Amino acid sequence: MDLLLQYCLNGLMLGMMYALVAVGFTLFFGVLDVIVFSHGDTVMIGSFAGLATYWWLHSTYPGLPAGWAVLLVLLAAAATVALLGIIVADAMIVPLRKGPALNTLLATMMLGTVLRESIRLFFPDGSNPQTFPALLPGWSWRGGNLILRFDNLVLFCGGALIIFLVHMIINRTRLGMAIRAVAQDEEAARIMGVNFRFVVLATFALGSAVAAFAGVMNGMYYSEINFSVGLLLGAIGFSAAVIGGLGNIYGAILGGFIFAFLQTIGAVAIPFASAYKDVFAFGAVILIMAWRPTGLIAEPSSQRV
Amino acid sequence: MTDPGGKFRFKPLFIDGIHVAYGKAGVLSDVSMEILPGRITCLLGANGAGKSTLIRAVLGLTPPRQGSIAFDGMDITGAPTHAIVGKGIACIPEGRRIFPKMSAQENLLMGAFQERSKELIRARLEKVYGLFPRLAERRAQLAGTMSGGEQAMVSIGRGLMSAPKLLIIDEPSLGLSPALVNENFRIIRRICEEGTAVFLVEQNVRQTLAIAHYGYVLSQGRVVAGGLPAELKENEQVRKAYFG
Repeated sequence: MDLLLQYCLNGLMLGMMYALVAVGFTLFFGVLDVIVFSHGDTVMIGSFAGLATYWWLHSTYPGLPAGWAVLLVLLAAAATVALLGIIVADAMIVPLRKGPALNTLLATMMLGTVLRESIRLFFPDGSNPQTFPALLPGWSWRGGNLILRFDNLVLFCGGALIIFLVHMIINRTRLGMAIRAVAQDEEAARIMGVNFRFVVLATFALGSAVAAFAGVMNGMYYSEINFSVGLLLGAIGFSAAVIGGLGNIYGAILGGFIFAFLQTIGAVAIPFASAYKDVFAFGAVILIMAWRPTGLIAEPSSQRV
Repeated sequence: MTDPGGKFRFKPLFIDGIHVAYGKAGVLSDVSMEILPGRITCLLGANGAGKSTLIRAVLGLTPPRQGSIAFDGMDITGAPTHAIVGKGIACIPEGRRIFPKMSAQENLLMGAFQERSKELIRARLEKVYGLFPRLAERRAQLAGTMSGGEQAMVSIGRGLMSAPKLLIIDEPSLGLSPALVNENFRIIRRICEEGTAVFLVEQNVRQTLAIAHYGYVLSQGRVVAGGLPAELKENEQVRKAYFG
């Protein structure tokens, strides 16, 4: 029983991480009708930006309290990746819209490779896995075989807060209204006076910053990061967004938790070979897509944002 | 003419010899028009004559290859759409183009997207709800679930929310019942009387010429006639195309 509960706790943690990645996929699809395949690698860049910030903080301000360190690492990672997202959108994705959609797909796949290889080649000792520091105190609560780690709890609540903030931005701000308008009818939004380019760049900054949080979360959860971590995270985030119905933010969040749930079932059902959990989860995703091609909570007309 | 709001005091929309093309196919060639303040100017022409393209050019959605467009004394040729809208041009697009997943009220708020003053927005909302009491009752309903007539009200109301100097109305009667069409024409006249210049694109020639102050006829991408409604009714091209 304790073991099952433990699995569920871990699954919730992973689900939050996947949801944060999936939100980016679905936001970008919403405003531009594109799949940004490099988004997983954006998450990876977020982890490494966080790690570099930590190194710098650690050598410059050794006595910095843990809370400040986490906050600064997160802010620096988010800012770096948001800037990256803006540059990628403005220099590559918006100009490529004049051509066929497949070109964007291919270009972002190649961009993903460029990002991965850049970290591998240019980050100090980038080809080897890097230890990600435990930024928060290692307190934990034990009940029988159940372990609840304090840092995981903080990360989970942080993720929930981020999702709440995204929800508020989309539904309660002028920018959010513009994002929804562009997603529903780009040209009508322009005619209403929406600055299309600004909305696209802001959306990429938002989706990428959320991905940076997922990246730091990933590093703190596994205590280790490597240059290729974005490949799997990208595939998972994309699957999660598709399960929920591309373009639907709440669907993407749900999809993230469903994917983690599937992985957990896979791990529980096949305990002798936990590596099969991904095979099980992706297999189940294929079945879900065959059953509900437009996503679990999308409407037939392909709902947007 | 009285001018309490000062809206008549903008300089007209000048379209000067524009050429517009998609790819290699020219759609508009050497089109020139003047849309004056305080008036309803109508644009007539068969399907495919280039009416929608002309509107797209004015709004900056398909910038002209040659020629220039000026509004209120400023050159807006090639400017981005949001900047053109910021100068005081609004559009009620063909096919209504409401935001289906937004409530009726959010759709109206989108119409005032560039307006920052909350009081002004609230006052305009009340005005639109006064014009269409039905929208006031249904302000929270998703626009995509409304009837065609209600969606038309949302689209017209949205076009008024920015209190534009010039309102472009593209095929407002399309798909509406005769009663609603009459209602539409009544509203368009009222919009003009309240000080907004109207550039009206319509298929419904008789009713359009009955309320317009001036009109142009577009055929195969060229202006083939321009004049007062009475003159247009006598015009050979117009008679042939519309009155049989």
